[in-house]
Amino acid sequence: MPAMQPSARLERATVALEDRVILRAIDLEVAPGITVLRGPNGAGKTTALRALAGLLPLLRGAREVAGELLYLGHRPQLLHGLSVRENLAFFMAFRGRGGDAAAAIARWGLAADADRPVERLSVGQRRRAALARLDAEPCDVIVLDEPFAELDQEGVGLVREALNAAVARGAAVLIASHAHPEIDRDAVRVYSIHDGALAGA
Amino acid sequence: MSARRAWLVAARELRADLRQPDGVVAAATFMAALILLQSIVVGPQVARESGVAPALYWIALLFAALVTALRSFDRELEDDALDAVLALPGGRDALYAGKVLALAGTLALVGLVGGLLAIAFLDLAIALPGHLGLATALGIVALPGIVVLDVALTLRLRARAALVPVLALPVLVPQLVAATSASAAALAGDASASLAWSALLLAIALVYAVLGLTIVPTAIE
Repeated sequence: MPAMQPSARLERATVALEDRVILRAIDLEVAPGITVLRGPNGAGKTTALRALAGLLPLLRGAREVAGELLYLGHRPQLLHGLSVRENLAFFMAFRGRGGDAAAAIARWGLAADADRPVERLSVGQRRRAALARLDAEPCDVIVLDEPFAELDQEGVGLVREALNAAVARGAAVLIASHAHPEIDRDAVRVYSIHDGALAGA
Repeated sequence: MSARRAWLVAARELRADLRQPDGVVAAATFMAALILLQSIVVGPQVARESGVAPALYWIALLFAALVTALRSFDRELEDDALDAVLALPGGRDALYAGKVLALAGTLALVGLVGGLLAIAFLDLAIALPGHLGLATALGIVALPGIVVLDVALTLRLRARAALVPVLALPVLVPQLVAATSASAAALAGDASASLAWSALLLAIALVYAVLGLTIVPTAIE
């Protein structure tokens, strides 16, 4: 079987923050399907994800992404003052996608609170609102930092459904996560990172 | 850079300002307080005769711009909303241009309130209203480009609230001098001087916009 072409990759990527090297020449490939990045706190998972999303400059190495990328960090990334509906509508319009966010809002159980400012929602609701972007913005490459944090069992199930749907349409998904055996089972590849270096795949 | 995306960021910003108007209210209150204090402390006669009124107006508007821009980026840092925009295709350019557009809109409102208060409390006689309107409009257009650039560059620095004015003020001196001189000339009835200073304001606005669009997308983190 031919090797799958990666949709995104970091090649010999080195990242330094405030004179401290956080990532040490890592090679990370994200092919269609789910790729998991494991590692203890402070190992460099978030830095690797942010580097792949283009949010951090590389000191050395290269970054390649084929297609549009969606990055969801470990905080909700929603603008306070706007409602869930307005936040999602902004992202959809920015990417030039038509339609409204109603379907995504309903699927994530937020219909009753869709027009409340996001800062008035609970932590879990805000998390769901952020993850509703998975449905509102179907992208080729999806980068998720601890997507199961602050979610109840139903929320975890919704994330897995959304990821399976993304994979079914050919998306490449990279997830930084602590222990989640269900996701490891779904993954085509699992990386481990320790002290800024990949320990193996 | 996509004008559509810049407009989307500006509309998002203005909508959030409407819901959380603390930054805009602080800017307008600051502007109004300075003009009222000027009318009491300096008195309308001195303010009119020495050109103090235009100078204080533009200094007040500059600080209003800094307050509004700082609040705008503070809101982006809550829940890491900034990351979501930066990770979008074309997000960095659009973020800068959208913030500049939104700040220009806010300053137009604050400037109008301040201008009306100045006319009322300082009993200003305007010799050339059209020239004053042009000078004010161009002065407002020239401000946001550099203010947003300054706030964006200091985004992750500690004590940035103190650093922003210190770093911005030297760069803003040409804008302040040109806007004050253009407004003072329009009040005094010197059409050619007002137009010449207004032309300089236009040039400053263009230079700051190009600088911002060049620097911010690569520098912002």
